[in-house]
Amino acid sequence: MGLDALLDAFLSVLNGGSLTFLMAGVLLGLTFGVIPGLGGTTALALLIPVTYTLDPLSAMYLAGGVMGATSFGGSISAILLNTPGTAPNAATCFDGYPLARQGKAGMAIGASATASALGGLIGLFTLLLFIPVAREVVLSFGSSEFFLLTVLGLAAIAVSIKGKLLRGLIAACIGLLLAFTGANQFTGETRFTGGINYLWEGIPLVPALTGLFAISQMIELALKGGSVADDETVKEAKNMRITGVSEGVFAVFKHWPVLLRGSLIGTVIGAIPGLGGTVASFLSYSSTAQTAKDRDTFGKGNIKGVIAPEAANNAKDGGSLIPTVAFGIPGSAETAVFLGILVLHGIEPGPQILLQNEREIYGLIVALTVSAIAASVLGLIFARLLVLITRIDVNIVVPVVVTLSLTGVYVLEGRMADVAVATIIGIFGYLMIRFDYPRLTLVIAFVLGEIAERSYHQVRLISDGNVMEYMLGRPISVILIIATIITFFLPAMRKLPWRRMVGRAI
Amino acid sequence: MKKFLVTGATAVALVTGGAAHAEFPMDDNITFVIPYSPGGGFDTIVRQFAPAMERTMGTTVVPENISGAGGARGGQSVHRADADGYTIGIYNIPGLTVNEVLGMDQGFKLDEVTWLANLAVETYALAVAADSGINSVEDLCALDQPAKMSDTGATSTAAVTTRITFGILGCDIVDVTGYAGSNDAMIAVISGEVNATIKPITSLTKYLDGDGGTGDMKLILTLTTEEAVSGVPTATDIGHPELAKFTLNRVIGGPPGMPAEVVSALEEGLRAASEDPEVTAWAEGAGVGLEFMNTADTTTLMNDLSSFYQQYKDLAAVAE
Repeated sequence: MGLDALLDAFLSVLNGGSLTFLMAGVLLGLTFGVIPGLGGTTALALLIPVTYTLDPLSAMYLAGGVMGATSFGGSISAILLNTPGTAPNAATCFDGYPLARQGKAGMAIGASATASALGGLIGLFTLLLFIPVAREVVLSFGSSEFFLLTVLGLAAIAVSIKGKLLRGLIAACIGLLLAFTGANQFTGETRFTGGINYLWEGIPLVPALTGLFAISQMIELALKGGSVADDETVKEAKNMRITGVSEGVFAVFKHWPVLLRGSLIGTVIGAIPGLGGTVASFLSYSSTAQTAKDRDTFGKGNIKGVIAPEAANNAKDGGSLIPTVAFGIPGSAETAVFLGILVLHGIEPGPQILLQNEREIYGLIVALTVSAIAASVLGLIFARLLVLITRIDVNIVVPVVVTLSLTGVYVLEGRMADVAVATIIGIFGYLMIRFDYPRLTLVIAFVLGEIAERSYHQVRLISDGNVMEYMLGRPISVILIIATIITFFLPAMRKLPWRRMVGRAI
Repeated sequence: MKKFLVTGATAVALVTGGAAHAEFPMDDNITFVIPYSPGGGFDTIVRQFAPAMERTMGTTVVPENISGAGGARGGQSVHRADADGYTIGIYNIPGLTVNEVLGMDQGFKLDEVTWLANLAVETYALAVAADSGINSVEDLCALDQPAKMSDTGATSTAAVTTRITFGILGCDIVDVTGYAGSNDAMIAVISGEVNATIKPITSLTKYLDGDGGTGDMKLILTLTTEEAVSGVPTATDIGHPELAKFTLNRVIGGPPGMPAEVVSALEEGLRAASEDPEVTAWAEGAGVGLEFMNTADTTTLMNDLSSFYQQYKDLAAVAE
């Protein structure tokens, strides 16, 4: 099964040139990850012209280095500034930031680094196991499974709003409204565009999430003043060494079921083209928060709330290569750019990619492995230094983050309108913080809404209108339906023994 | 101070004025606009041609991605540029042609574009799953239910081609749109979600028997006049040669009213680049069908396409 090839790939990475490209990729990935608005796709897209002059294998090392490092980099800003560095890190904010405010940023970064590295490794290991059956995996996920996965995702959110049901639903409806903007894939008609050409292709994800999380958070910080960490915590910690990093590392091993489940969710979601890391990390977070015994502490600084999304987020890279080795198609935005790099080098990605381009594929897998570990080790080394960010006056932090993230939004497509979208949604996001509306439900509805609508219409057409009958005839669909029902009834079943459940929304 | 500014302005005017006398394309870089993000088919072909043009024309060619509005935004920015030859672009054809025929305002008119060349042409074929038992267009049209097809967007070129083709054939179909990409649409055929799909032959090859393909799919019709794949009937064979008008083109153009000498310099540069050994080797490996057409032929092609789609306007529109 190509184990020799894999071993060869590992050995060949040790020669000087390859390692240089890989480490350059890791540093670039970390940097792009940390800066809100800039993500892995941006880094890879900017690298495409550069890779033109490289040989395909070096290009793979560079790309793999970037892919493996961005998501951990993004978790750093999520934890320290409540501003996800990349879209999938949004879920990490919910518990990572409260930890930082309690002065436990070191612990959160330690947990994120470890969960990222291990999640990445589990994802790649699962990929290797799945290579022989990759074809069957991809073929068994059709429109019906797509639709049900989005329903499961939406259901998980509806359940996790707890106390703020009405506000959560309002936010979700706004998310759906934003998701449905643009050309309808079935009639070709445009909706909610107000005659603006820019909106034909819908509201772009990266500017929207940058606005909702980065810009809104910066407005909040600027108005609040001081520094990120509580003043008292800062005073206390000033004379103390920043510790807790190793505590965070151990927490991951202590909560290994959370790590495993997160990695598995990440791999599966990654393997399904069209559902990205954002969906994976949210599903992982919400399923952990729902099934945990101490679920009331989620959103207030539970370390498991950092481990779950970060494990999923990194495992998805391995998973997203499953459709690539099976059919030569991308499983994520990053793998799409990676296949683009191959085309640029005159290699046509197809179902035989693993046979014809073994060197490049295994090169990428090795690069991802080394990158996941290297990024985390670098993160652990510098964690103590990075934590100092939470003690810097926000008057310095805010202008830097706003400038960098809006620049990042602009760089991706070179459109000023994207910057406008980020700003408008940023102000809207601040109002949501101010009036205590959950941004999480908005994001989930925004990310899943379009896929849900699209795949539902597809199932309707494919099944000649007999949607339920069609779904019940497909085993994976049935499993997803059962999972959705359990998600809905779990909180009710839990409530039975107690009269009232104390719980506050995330 | 004012005097200083005036002197400065005069100096600048003199310098730029002087440079304008240099022969095209020596006094500036050529910006090559790509109306999509990096990594796709349009981006790739431009990034292959750009260095080859640099070699043949002796100037710097800078690809610039201006994505948005289904390729219209890139076209608009070329349209607004100076007609000096230093801004050219690749166009989404026939996507823009179809949108224009359907009355969509794209911010510029295609007949105002100065067409320079056509770099590549892809032809379409109708494919079904290899084990489906469907062996001809008649089989497909004689299923119990209207045949189900798969496509990306309802206004994508392949979806428009599908609707017009089956409209001409007088065969009822359901086009299931909304697949994330053309590969996903083909996999829907392999997994049995839908019955068939119309896609470019070069994209289908990897799922066909032989030539490194998986043999998951088979072709039952090519939208060509001459045999494109051995043993597969053509549009002419089934009595509808007009179906061969459906092609996917990589067309290059510039702003309205470009001077003739600039047009011919660019035409020659693009032609030479299309014969560059690095470009041909890349096209061979990546399965791209290079087919150079000069300025006159490209202009005729664009007019033909426009009247062709005008003729089938009603079929091209998305049914409610």
